[in-house]
Amino acid sequence: MLTFIGLGLYDEESITVDGRAALEDADRAIAEFYTSHLVGATVAELSASHGIDIEVRDRAGVEQDPEDVLAAAENDHVAFLTAGDTMISTTHVDLRLRAIDRGIDTRVIHGVTAQTAASGLTGLQNYRFGKSVTLPFPDARGGDAVPGSVVESIEANRERGLHTLVYLDINASRDEYMTADVAAGLLTEGWTDTLGVAVARAGGPEPVVAADTLSALAAREFGDPLHLLVIPGDLHHIESDALSALGGAPADALAARER
Amino acid sequence: MEDPEQIRNIAIAAHVDHGKTTLTDNLLAGAGMIADEGEATRLMMDTEEDEQERGITIDAANVSMTHEYEEDNHLINLIDTPGHVDFGGDVTRAMRAVDGALVVVDAVEGAMPQTETVVRQALREGVKPALFINKVDRLISELQEGPQEMQQRLMDVIGDVNELIRGMTENRDDIDDWTVSVEDGTVAFGSALYKWGVSAPSMQRTGIGFPEIIEMERNDKRMELHEQTPLSDVVLDMVAEHFPNPLAAQPRRIPRVWRGEADSDLARQMEGVDDDGEVVFMVTDISMDPHAGEIATGRLFSGTIKQGQELYVSGTVGKNRVQSVGIFMGGEREELDRGVPAGNIAAVTGLRDAIAGSTVSSVEMTPFESIEHISEPVITKSVEAQSMDDLPKLIETLQQVAKEDPTIRVEINEDTGEHLISGQGELHLEVITQRIQKNQGIPVQTGEPIVVFRESAQSNSREVEGVSPNRHNKFYITVEPLSNDIVDAIKRGEVSMDMPELERREALQDAGMGKDTSQEVEHIHGTNILIDDTKGIQHLNETMELVIEGLEEALDDGPLANEPVQGSLLRLHDAKLHEDTIHRGPAQVIPAVRDAVHRALIDADIKLLEPIQDVRIDVPSAHMGSASGEIQGRRGRVDDMFQEGDLMVIEGIAPVEEMIGFSSDIRSATEGRASWNTENAGFRVLSDNLQREKIMGIRERKGMKLELPASVDQF
Repeated sequence: MLTFIGLGLYDEESITVDGRAALEDADRAIAEFYTSHLVGATVAELSASHGIDIEVRDRAGVEQDPEDVLAAAENDHVAFLTAGDTMISTTHVDLRLRAIDRGIDTRVIHGVTAQTAASGLTGLQNYRFGKSVTLPFPDARGGDAVPGSVVESIEANRERGLHTLVYLDINASRDEYMTADVAAGLLTEGWTDTLGVAVARAGGPEPVVAADTLSALAAREFGDPLHLLVIPGDLHHIESDALSALGGAPADALAARER
Repeated sequence: MEDPEQIRNIAIAAHVDHGKTTLTDNLLAGAGMIADEGEATRLMMDTEEDEQERGITIDAANVSMTHEYEEDNHLINLIDTPGHVDFGGDVTRAMRAVDGALVVVDAVEGAMPQTETVVRQALREGVKPALFINKVDRLISELQEGPQEMQQRLMDVIGDVNELIRGMTENRDDIDDWTVSVEDGTVAFGSALYKWGVSAPSMQRTGIGFPEIIEMERNDKRMELHEQTPLSDVVLDMVAEHFPNPLAAQPRRIPRVWRGEADSDLARQMEGVDDDGEVVFMVTDISMDPHAGEIATGRLFSGTIKQGQELYVSGTVGKNRVQSVGIFMGGEREELDRGVPAGNIAAVTGLRDAIAGSTVSSVEMTPFESIEHISEPVITKSVEAQSMDDLPKLIETLQQVAKEDPTIRVEINEDTGEHLISGQGELHLEVITQRIQKNQGIPVQTGEPIVVFRESAQSNSREVEGVSPNRHNKFYITVEPLSNDIVDAIKRGEVSMDMPELERREALQDAGMGKDTSQEVEHIHGTNILIDDTKGIQHLNETMELVIEGLEEALDDGPLANEPVQGSLLRLHDAKLHEDTIHRGPAQVIPAVRDAVHRALIDADIKLLEPIQDVRIDVPSAHMGSASGEIQGRRGRVDDMFQEGDLMVIEGIAPVEEMIGFSSDIRSATEGRASWNTENAGFRVLSDNLQREKIMGIRERKGMKLELPASVDQF
């Protein structure tokens, strides 16, 4: 049995009750933190809280050498853990398909994901989001600082009046997390006066939401990770009110996007 | 020096031991740069201790001299180049700096393989040749030849050289007729050892022709001969009369070596040798001076280079500040505060980022075409510092060596401390390691020389699917062998990614590539070409860089023995990509492509290739059998045996690996009576019965797994 469990957004408390029960039932727990990360708890705290030894794997350990995970799941109950949800913004469906191929029973127990927070904390309606993108660290690839496909997707969403959720790159091996001000700075080229919304530490006790032009956001600081950024499309009047009340958006920046 | 019309930039080039350096010393003595005392001053161009010991030139050396011709004083900037095949890279680089090449041929031996190579290198760079036939005294005194025989022999040499020149220039519309002839005065004869020379113009002037020479030589009146018709006058007159000055040469040479905007101020300044223009300096050599540090020598095409200038160095960011500028007057570097004007060969210090081949300029500009040297390294040696304390110094020295000689490749391995240097031959590496020991005083331990192998596809592969680790990205690739014509065109630098697309397309089509294929060239790595056969795949353009990275990794370390892959045409037919950049990042794309390329190469019957050499042995007929046995016993092949004078000539090929140690074996096999030389002749597929054994040997040496993928079944 292979159970995919989302750990939620922040710490050992963010998991669902269902997920917690499944984890306690498991014989073995394997986690990856290269697609996302829990900022509010260490692996030791997680292990202690759930009463099971959690083994952390890097990308190669999950993608290239999943053999022993699958072999173990043939007889025992293995829990596979990620921050957020295991199936949103990851490629773990591949692991699930490999398991099904081998006749292993699988189950998905959802966790709260950044996508929920992007809507929930900002007041932007989830019906009105277009394609999501990830903004990579500029040194992660040669060439342009912002990949063309990221620019294209944001442009296409904006043309259709849709919001864009911008995931920010993390480098697990170096413990580096892109912050919203850096992301806003990368995107100011071309979108200087465009409205953006920074969200910091979603799911934690004191999340921050800040709405302003990208150039203004680039000049601010939002504290500890994780962060994400939303580039709103056209604004419904309630969305506009929410960005003002929840994110302190200046009136003139909002006016430009109101329909 | 100020007036370009009076400048001649020339190189002396020849087969090893045909007398270049002796001739150079003659010219210097004639120009009053060194004392005219014979042996005592001989070989002043060979400044390195090991050069004087070995009696051969190893680096290209620079020297300037003045010569009066038709009442005008001419500045002659001369580069003496090595003739030994192992140092061919120096020759190619020297040719970029000069406009005329004085080709020296031994009258007794005639045109030799290396003569052919240097003449080719000169003509490829658009450098005009003139011929000096040396050692004519030996025809008279040693071989006792009469006037008829001598004439025949000399005409044969001229004929051989002209055949080469015609072959290389026939299809060039920027060159008329560059064949040399006695009547035109582009051929001179003489003896560099006894310092006399003649040419058609000199015979007219002095009244001394062949009959007089034969008589004086026979009667041992060489000193008189030298006084009456000194070699230096004959040759330097020929240089001043027949080699183009920079004003005449640069309009022809600039379009050949520079791909920038032809209709620009910069192009006009370079073609016009404008000393008020922007500074444009092409570095052809880097050398170390114990006092001044690193000296960059090269050709100044435009502007005036002066101390204190801040100049751009191609391929690096920021600028370098010129510390001093000078020329090599009589071999000594002479600093000039007023600077050196366009058209000259200058010696510059302070250009710390420059390497041999850099373009240095006062404005940011398109760099010059890279100087292509046709032969690739064929032999590798490991170098280790004997004492751990010398480690940092050794690494620094090795990096310096690579900077000075781009035909050397250095691989630094800080983990094991065992560094690898690769070069053109046993001698090449021996000289380099000796210099590290002597000049830098670093005791080193060197390993046995190891031959460099290649891997190459032998047939067309089927389409292979490469899947990324997350299985969300797929690449479809095939491999087929490239034709030799295309591979050669890449090696000669006629096809590269630096050139404008249209020109590259045309060059590829000329070499036999189909029109459609030539339009889709995405990348060239070594002698391998990637064709993008995909149509309109979203996000592929921003993934292509990673595809290329994976491809290069796969080609640098081939699937058989991690040796470089050569001569493959790779086609990317299709790709399936994840929507988000992160999930099609380096960790996904590079291994997927690397794996697909390797599997495609295996499907294309990839085999191991080894470097081979052309071998020529001149030997008395009594020793012919044992000499040819030395080739055949080395997995070699004798192609031809013929009589030349009183010697037998054996020509053939043999693998470089087997040629290690040849020099002492042939000596004992022929009682030291054989003279021989070799020329690198590319790579050849190793016979099937040796493939597996050789591959396993290399894998073991490299610490790789001692089993090949199961799909390898081609041998």
